[in-house]
Amino acid sequence: MYINDNLPLDKLDKSALIARVIIFVIFILLFFAFWNIQILKHEHYDKLAMGNITDSLDIKAPRGVLFDKNGVIIAENKINFILLLNRKKTKDIEKTLEKISKLTGKSIILLKKILKKFNRVPKIRSIPLLKDLSFNNVVYIKSRPFEFQEFDIEVEPDRKYPLNRTASHIIGYMTEISEKELKGKSNNIYKLGDTIGQSGIEKQYEKFFRGKKGKRDVLKNNLGVIKTILHEQEPKIGNQVFLTIDIKLQKEIEELLVKKRLKGAIGVVDLKTGGILALISNPGFNPHDFWNQNDSIDRRFVSDLFLAIASQPYYETKLLQVFAILAVTKRIEINHKDNYSLHNKFIQGRYSPGSTFKIVMALAALEENIITKDTMINCNGVTNIYNRPWHCWREYGHGYVNLTKAIKDSCNIYFYNLGKKLNIDVIARYADLLGLGKRTNIDIPNEISGLVPTKSFKFRDNRKWYPGDTISISIGGGMLEVTPVQALLMISTVALRGQRPQLHLLDRIENDGVIIKKTEPKFTKIPIKKESFDLLIEGLFKVVNEEGTAKRAKIKGFDICGKTGTQQIISKENPRYKELVKIRKFMPHAWFVSFAPKENPRYASVIFIENGGGAGTIAAPFAKEIYKRLFEK
Amino acid sequence: MRDSIRFFDKITFFIILAISVGGVFLIYSASYSDTNTFFYKQLIWLIFSIIIFFIVFRIRTEIIFRYGVLLYIILIGILILQLVSGKVIAGTKSWVKFGFFSVQVSEFMKIALAIIIAKYISKINKIEWKELFMLGVIIGIPFVLIALQPDMGTASIFVSLFIITILLKGIKKSIVIFLIILVLLSSFFLWNYFLKPYQKDRITSFLNPELYSQSSGYQIIQSKIAIGAGGINGKGFLKGSQSKYKFLPTRHTDFIISLLGEEFGFLGISFFLILYFVFFYRQFTFFTENEEELNLVYLLLGLILFQFLINVLMSIGLIPILGLPLPFVSYGGSSLLGFFIIEGIIFKIRINSYINEF
Repeated sequence: MYINDNLPLDKLDKSALIARVIIFVIFILLFFAFWNIQILKHEHYDKLAMGNITDSLDIKAPRGVLFDKNGVIIAENKINFILLLNRKKTKDIEKTLEKISKLTGKSIILLKKILKKFNRVPKIRSIPLLKDLSFNNVVYIKSRPFEFQEFDIEVEPDRKYPLNRTASHIIGYMTEISEKELKGKSNNIYKLGDTIGQSGIEKQYEKFFRGKKGKRDVLKNNLGVIKTILHEQEPKIGNQVFLTIDIKLQKEIEELLVKKRLKGAIGVVDLKTGGILALISNPGFNPHDFWNQNDSIDRRFVSDLFLAIASQPYYETKLLQVFAILAVTKRIEINHKDNYSLHNKFIQGRYSPGSTFKIVMALAALEENIITKDTMINCNGVTNIYNRPWHCWREYGHGYVNLTKAIKDSCNIYFYNLGKKLNIDVIARYADLLGLGKRTNIDIPNEISGLVPTKSFKFRDNRKWYPGDTISISIGGGMLEVTPVQALLMISTVALRGQRPQLHLLDRIENDGVIIKKTEPKFTKIPIKKESFDLLIEGLFKVVNEEGTAKRAKIKGFDICGKTGTQQIISKENPRYKELVKIRKFMPHAWFVSFAPKENPRYASVIFIENGGGAGTIAAPFAKEIYKRLFEK
Repeated sequence: MRDSIRFFDKITFFIILAISVGGVFLIYSASYSDTNTFFYKQLIWLIFSIIIFFIVFRIRTEIIFRYGVLLYIILIGILILQLVSGKVIAGTKSWVKFGFFSVQVSEFMKIALAIIIAKYISKINKIEWKELFMLGVIIGIPFVLIALQPDMGTASIFVSLFIITILLKGIKKSIVIFLIILVLLSSFFLWNYFLKPYQKDRITSFLNPELYSQSSGYQIIQSKIAIGAGGINGKGFLKGSQSKYKFLPTRHTDFIISLLGEEFGFLGISFFLILYFVFFYRQFTFFTENEEELNLVYLLLGLILFQFLINVLMSIGLIPILGLPLPFVSYGGSSLLGFFIIEGIIFKIRINSYINEF
């Protein structure tokens, strides 16, 4: 009935034997396969496994606070709600964007543009889709975790300018860092989505403002959801920056300009230090406008454009071009709006100095011994030089004038005669000593150098220097170009009798109350005799105090000294001059450079009013307002 | 009855139990970070499968062979019904709902196919054109039906039955050449007209996983990372980061061996491999005179071996992802039940070979 349990091997089915051998070989090979992966390549795979789950996230540092000289806050931080999108959790990106677009009112096109920017960021990382989420929206999203499961909300510090448009050209503005800027920076301080100072103080002292980012080492799952925080390093707030600006004065001057609807640039400097007390370029802008993802401009235009393009093939690439255009046009638009400008006239405006240049001429002539204080020249309204009539601004002339009277009444004939006797290169040398025609190196970026021509300058263009060119320049015309900041430097140097100050906005930078950078007052002695300055200042004093061209700036007891300049836009020889000059854009630019008091001067200022009209009537009273405020304290 | 106990292969049975229970623990780890109930379901299925195993073990093999064709026809009928009206679950129509639980018909089709092939080839000498045609029809019909669900993994297992048949019976050389040409031609047509994009992805990503690291190559890479990160000792039970943080895909089914590798390391893998080795080695010992029974055992064991190999080789990235569960270990009631039924039949035939039934 039964067969033996222990069967002899030869009775075994032959195929079974083969099968056993095959199985043996297979399992040996499997052992080696696992040996290879688990033991020989263990470290490699272990590293990859760690890389899967660990991530190091940046925590944005609050930017340093910006103060004026009295400790008033000009720029600070606020809490910003950031909407983070976890792309691993999104099922239908279109629906997701639609949802957010509906909630926040931002256009889908904008959202797509932002999304596109983060294309190369690994999907496991959440990306900041929107910044500046309103508190209402935060509550809405947070209370609907299933509807908005692909979103997360994070709190980050962001920039706030409590005074809005005040001092906008000093502060500058910030934008999100562009890919081009990211590539340019070899360090890894900045990442996509960070903001960076683009002009003004924000740019100048960016590396002090930015602080140090914190770090958060986390464990994440395959959807990028943070499961555990392993280690957290707090961010460090940026340094506190103190300016020499008196924000109260700044604001009052700005308001005066706005009230009178005047465009121009005004600067006030403390002559003890060279620190700028007020720096105005009107119109300004609102620094908040640049780094908020604000697509309110022309959303209708964009959507119309989108509809027009969407029907065409390859519309996506075309849309990208449109985005690029829009990004540019937004800036252009801001530049062209009447009361909105990124152009900082104070350091970037190129203007003829007009009669304020007579300061340079007077000093040059005195130093070169062409005149003495008693040299008299007869002005009868017109003089003939190089076979051409040259007019004084006063039709019937000033009669016999010496230097101080010529300055007081701004007599052109007197200075034409100096121009006849002075070489243009000599004039340029004195202009250069006083700070014209080159950057003053004031500490805000993008200053231009202006132009004081020399003979060689014209030769460069293969043009000849005509003697008449020098005559034009002797009253501040011709090819001369100065910026308001240079004019301020010139009058400051005169006030200090040859001590040329380094103009600056920064007072000090502090780190937790410890001063890490301080601007020490710096003066450069220029080789012009004190006697020349004294004589010049005698004239500048008369301009204001003895019924001169700036008599409207006079404040009794303050001893203001200054020089006006009225730079015509159209020639007086134009037959329609009388009629055209009443139109604003043909009205002359008005200059007034001044300082006070005469002895031991404390303050200097430059007033430049674009198309303001006569300097004595428009610019001089402005200076009066400023000095009144300065001395009344 | 006493004989059944005496000749019952206790060692193999305990190995199967060890592998299955180990699988249940791995499933516990795989679903630990979720709140789902894979672990309990698998435990219930395991108990149920052991009961069925003993029921099958009591059935006489003649009955199995007698009703094999009927089972085959019924299952074909269900497959057709499914294709026409089936609901899609987890991307395929392979599930049939019976009250509170669902089963995958294809798991049982494997067994029915093995039975009728075993019966058929015991009557032939060698595979010639006529036999080739017959086998083509028998295997081809369920193959197409299941491939259409679509479940290429299970369908491909049917091909393994054909390969085992060839090994058992031998084949004419001209047919081999014909088959090679047929395979080349059909793969060309499959690739261009039939395969779904995700299936193509599986193949291309297998050939170059780094290129596809965000899509289907992702699975291969993550599986290898899990296994490699395990090292010698493994990360420890419930401590594998690839599994815990869900980087390892389908870690309770297709890639359960990767989970084992990560949490128990080379030692754990070696232990499992040894268990499987003894399992196969012991069972390839047959000396029955009954050709039908012998063929069936080879077909069934071959089935398990192929599925085991495909699953393991796929986990270490040596073959494309086919989506097949690891026998006795992976989560899935139908699969587990199917393998216990197979073992029930094999155990019964083994007893038969020891007992002379005159």
